[in-house]
Amino acid sequence: MKRRFITAILAGVMTASLLAGCGNAKTDGSSNEAKGTGELSGTITFAIWDNNLNEFIEQNDMIGKFQEQYPDIDVEVEKIKDDSEYWNAMKMRASANQLPDVMFNKPFTLSRFKDYLVDLSGTEAAANNELAQGYAVDGRVLGLPMTSGYEYVYYWKDMFAEAGVEVPTTWSELEDAAKKLQDYYGKDNKDFMAIACGLKDEWPDYPYMEFMPALESGNGQNWNDMAKTDEPFAEGTDIYRAYHKVNDLFTSGVLGKDPLGLGNDQVTSIFATKGAAMIALGDWGLQNIQNGAEDISQLGTFYLPTRDSESDPYNVIVQGDSFMGVTTHSKNQEAAIAFVEWFYSDAWYPEYINFVSSASSMSNFPKEKDPILAEADKLCPDMVLVMYDGGGDDFSAIQNVTTFDYKKLGAEMLTEGFDLDAALEELNASWTNARATLGIQ
Amino acid sequence: MTKLSKKRKQFIVVSLVIPMLLLIGFVVVPGLDLIRMSFTNWDGYSQDSQFIGFRNYITMFQNKDLWQSLRNNAIYFVVHLFMIPLELAFAVLLTGKLRAAKFYKTMVFMPYIINGVAIAYAFSYFFSPVNGAFDAILTGLHLENWIRSWLSDPKIVNYVLAFVSIWRFSGYHVILFMAALQSIPADIAEAARVDGANTWHLFKYIQVPSIMLMVDFVLFDNIRGALQVFDIPFVMTSGGPGYASSTFTLYTIKTAFTFSNFGLASTMAVAIMVLIVVIYLIQNKLIHGVILREGKK
Repeated sequence: MKRRFITAILAGVMTASLLAGCGNAKTDGSSNEAKGTGELSGTITFAIWDNNLNEFIEQNDMIGKFQEQYPDIDVEVEKIKDDSEYWNAMKMRASANQLPDVMFNKPFTLSRFKDYLVDLSGTEAAANNELAQGYAVDGRVLGLPMTSGYEYVYYWKDMFAEAGVEVPTTWSELEDAAKKLQDYYGKDNKDFMAIACGLKDEWPDYPYMEFMPALESGNGQNWNDMAKTDEPFAEGTDIYRAYHKVNDLFTSGVLGKDPLGLGNDQVTSIFATKGAAMIALGDWGLQNIQNGAEDISQLGTFYLPTRDSESDPYNVIVQGDSFMGVTTHSKNQEAAIAFVEWFYSDAWYPEYINFVSSASSMSNFPKEKDPILAEADKLCPDMVLVMYDGGGDDFSAIQNVTTFDYKKLGAEMLTEGFDLDAALEELNASWTNARATLGIQ
Repeated sequence: MTKLSKKRKQFIVVSLVIPMLLLIGFVVVPGLDLIRMSFTNWDGYSQDSQFIGFRNYITMFQNKDLWQSLRNNAIYFVVHLFMIPLELAFAVLLTGKLRAAKFYKTMVFMPYIINGVAIAYAFSYFFSPVNGAFDAILTGLHLENWIRSWLSDPKIVNYVLAFVSIWRFSGYHVILFMAALQSIPADIAEAARVDGANTWHLFKYIQVPSIMLMVDFVLFDNIRGALQVFDIPFVMTSGGPGYASSTFTLYTIKTAFTFSNFGLASTMAVAIMVLIVVIYLIQNKLIHGVILREGKK
């Protein structure tokens, strides 16, 4: 009898745990029990993908420091492998009402998650953030950029000097410099790349394929404007001109003998050991290059010159990166907002921003650029900053229907028999159909 | 009813009910939900979706990139299919009295137990155009003319990836065949030898018919594996260049997560299930009905 009773209890516990696992976890034990004194309490989850941030959080006891100010709020940091995996996880969790309390976004994911993010307009952190307002969706600040992201072309000054090449300031100069470098070093080293670009991974062409349409005429809203026309890939448009430039550069042989066979890690290592003369990456790339290089005294940077002539404006992309936001699924929204405020306060942010190579996004905590990155500013005093927008709802909807994948398109340019004009024509046709199907005007 | 038989009955009921509940909860219900989703335009994160009838199915059939991905799957299928007789031969060889058979068995099975992503990474460096080991081997053998863009030439990339797949999975098939071969009672073979059967006769009339169930399983596993191949092309080429080395599963995942079209991706998942069953039935009919002529005795 006793045994049967124990068996029944065990079976009951198992069934309950099974059902609890399947159910919609509404009782997560982290309810925000606001105390009579008005103090905040509860547990908040903070989901990240950035290895540098994770390392810094662990080394500097972020939770301990936060709890000095908010002793009753516990923070659970959830590290997800990389950003691709992060978006996959967040999409699934959004549909299951299981988003973390605090999450990050990129410019191109803000509009996707807009219904799940709380307006942070009223926070002090938003007021001090230089970029947040520029990325507001329908007037709501849904995320606070943790860093300002700039894109650079890293190059070896000694290699340029030996080959007699000057830092280019226009697109044609870039093409000429790349050809000259390829001819000069390529004759002795068949593996040499004037411009390193690991197209096996596809995404490393983003400085060209993602940003160049916006740089072409300095329109950071380029993707959103594309959603308003039926034939955005037609001759004469920004994207048409930009992709023709990229196509000409990529197919001129300056990416080396087999760029489609190499990934970004491989080409970054090759560049770090001077097997390549240039590589276009964000500010985050500096740490990777430094890790692979023995000596960086000859490492320099300049901004990707996409303009046709020196009389045109020298457009340079700037974008907010890692937008920290509070989700509507949070049971402890006040605690989560308090965490965001704390994160961007004197207690945490200045140390963090000095740890990473990226620029500060906070006006109250300016940061001097790394000397290597600052060289690009010195070389380009007349630059015009273009605030990049990753594309809103309409663009995303059309992109999904047409399966327009600009990063893949860039890699396809290197394949045999690829016809850019035919590809753009096909995109125009599917774009028109998609707009009609989706009823986008 | 005695106490023991009552307990036995209880045990049987519990043993059946729990797996059935798990099967219903984790296979049947999600499977039915997958079919339901295949008729919607759910984007993967919105709270609602619309029923759109067969539009996803029509879109799927009109998608040329998906068809190309399916053709790539066919390469894995055919290459693995041709390897099955070889795997069987290896299994027979290793089951026999071969010197250091245990060592060979371990070596053959080893690739299967290594993490697939690690294998794919290792081979992407092996076939790398810069400092790649394979090109170095060819150069060492003075076969520089044979060097190709192994991972970026659309004409050969799928064969390179299929080779990696063979390297990884052949050992698994060999071990399965060996397990089946070892289950054949030794006295049957001895009796056949007394009757004058040679090794070929033993193989053809005793070993192969005795392990037909396992052959069926390996053939089914080949179809399932070839149509669901993911990790090797994902890590080694990301399905590129373009969609030259994409596979059905890779394209399905891209549709779901890159293009936020879970409805269409669900349609593709339903299609792949149907495809696996259909190809298996055709293959079964061909092998048993035509090649082995089982029904015409």
